[in-house]
Order: sequence, then C-alpha cells, then structure tokens
Amino acid sequence: MRLITSALAALTLASPGFAAEGERIQITGEIIDTWCYYSGVMGGPDAVTGSAHHTCALWCSAGGIPVGLLGDDGEVYMVLKIEDSDENASGDTQLSLASHEITADGMLYKRDGLNYLVVEKVVTDAGITKLNHEDYGVVPPFAIPNPNK
Amino acid sequence: MKKFLIAIACLCAAPAAAQDFSEGSEAKSWNLYAEVPATFEAKVVDITCEITGDCADNCGDGKRQIGLLRAADGVLIFPNKNAQTGFQGAGTDLLPFCGQDVQVDGLMLVDEDIGLNNIYQLQKIRAVGSEDWVKANTWSKQWAKRHPEAKGKGPWFRRDPRVNAIIAETGYLGQGLSHQEAWDITQ
Repeated sequence: MRLITSALAALTLASPGFAAEGERIQITGEIIDTWCYYSGVMGGPDAVTGSAHHTCALWCSAGGIPVGLLGDDGEVYMVLKIEDSDENASGDTQLSLASHEITADGMLYKRDGLNYLVVEKVVTDAGITKLNHEDYGVVPPFAIPNPNK
Repeated sequence: MKKFLIAIACLCAAPAAAQDFSEGSEAKSWNLYAEVPATFEAKVVDITCEITGDCADNCGDGKRQIGLLRAADGVLIFPNKNAQTGFQGAGTDLLPFCGQDVQVDGLMLVDEDIGLNNIYQLQKIRAVGSEDWVKANTWSKQWAKRHPEAKGKGPWFRRDPRVNAIIAETGYLGQGLSHQEAWDITQ
C-alpha cells in the first residue's frame, strides 16, 4: 500500500516540474511572429508570413511577442535561444532574423503540445525568400505609411 | 489492487484530458476564431528554465519569455500577448510576478485541427490571495521609459529605433525597395 501511495504521489507531484528531454534536430523554415500566426487576427497563415508581413513581424518581435520557426514540415517551433543569445523576448538576434528563411541546428523539446527549439547554430540564412507581397500586398495594410502624405 | 492500478492509469492519462477553465472568467472577447475564456491559478516561470533547465535570475529580467505553470494540472501555458491592441507580448506584465503564485484571466487559443494548444492572451493578473487585479497593459509605458530618445507622436512601433534601423536598411518588405517603391508595389 505504501509503495502504491508513493507511486501516486510521485506521478501527481513530480512530473510537471521536470525539464523536458531534448533531441537533436535540423530544420529549415521561416522566423515568424507566433501571435499573428496562431490567432488569425490578420488573416490566414499564408498572409502572416513572408515579405507581406515583414514589417509586422519586426514590430511583434521588438514588442516581445514570441518568435517561432515555421518549419517546412508545417510545425511551429517556439524559439528559446539563437546561438549565444538567450534573449527570446525582444532580443536583437531574433529581431535581425524576422521573416528570414533559416536552417537551424539545435535541440528540440516538446511539452504540453508545443515544440520548443534551442538553435545552437544558424546553418544558413537565406534572408526573406517568401515574396508573398505580390499576392497579399502588405499585412496589415497600414504597415507601410503613405509616403505621399 | 485493481482499483489502485486503475487510479494510476487515470493519473497518467490526466494531462491529455481537456479541462474547462472558462468558469468565472471575465475575459473580453477579441473575436478570435480559436479563443476560449480561461482563468486559472499558476506559478510564473522562466520558460527557458522550465524547458531546458538553463535558468536566469528574475525570470530573465525582461529578456526571456515568461510562462504560467498551471496549478490544476502542471501544464505549461505560453502567454503570447498582453491586453493592449497592437504588437506587445505579455512578458512585461508577468515579470513583476516572477516566481509567484498568481491567478490570471484571458483567452486561451485552442484549435485541435492544427495542434494549437496552450497559447494564451493575458488580460489581467493578481497574486493568489489578492483582491486587486492588475491589467496586462504595461508594455508601452515600459518601452517609453527605455526609449526616451524616441519620444514623439504616434504609436511606439512607428518610433522604435531598432525597427526603424532595419526598415531604413532593407525597406518595409525586406527587399531593399525604397519607401515609395514598397508603397507603389503593394497598392
């Protein structure tokens, strides 16, 4: 009985507090702002990525909204670190990569339905490769102020 | 013995079972397609620390994302957004509560079809035991304190020095176009 009680206590109390176990991964995708992507507040997923959404991605990253890597596999990876920068809230490194397509090598952690990524090395940085402003204009429309006013 | 084994099996399965945290929520709708009102008690934690074991003082002191370790089930909730319209995260509002047990109210985003789980828009927060809610709307004032040189009219994101430096270098679309060219091509 005591053994079973101890097992129950261990299961209920100990499991949430442990750091997740990581696995090495190399993934290619775009650095996105996760709020616009998840919330749908500015349109569907295709419209809130790429060049169309670049200025907004800068604003969100600077504003401390979490950035993610939208992988070629369609999964979103919440970025915790990029190389030697652990500043995942409004940090300079993540800001400089807004909307860029990168290949990241690092550690993947999974917890409670979300993917978390520690980027140990940015293997390639192709810049902004998704030129969807040709399809969507700029998202949101006010991101580019009228230069003629 | 069989009852105890069943109890253990139920506990193991518990995190997968959806719980309803909408009761008692006073969260305002943002008319988001996946929003569900949610209020719950949680511990305020450094997410990087919680996930990787690499911990920083004071939850990263504003430089790291801050999470909510929900008391009812140990699930790690990721607050993505505060209560202000615009482009602000929730870290500034959570930081004063680092390490504390709190109650929060806001909107959870849930869409099982795309695997959207545990992403949260924080609207208000209070320490457990406190009667007084604090609105999650502190980001802009904190930004203004950090950037006195950028004082002026208009929203902060139009005046942010780092953002404007990048736009000056590569343009609004990141393609090296001038302001006029970027405007013309998107109209």
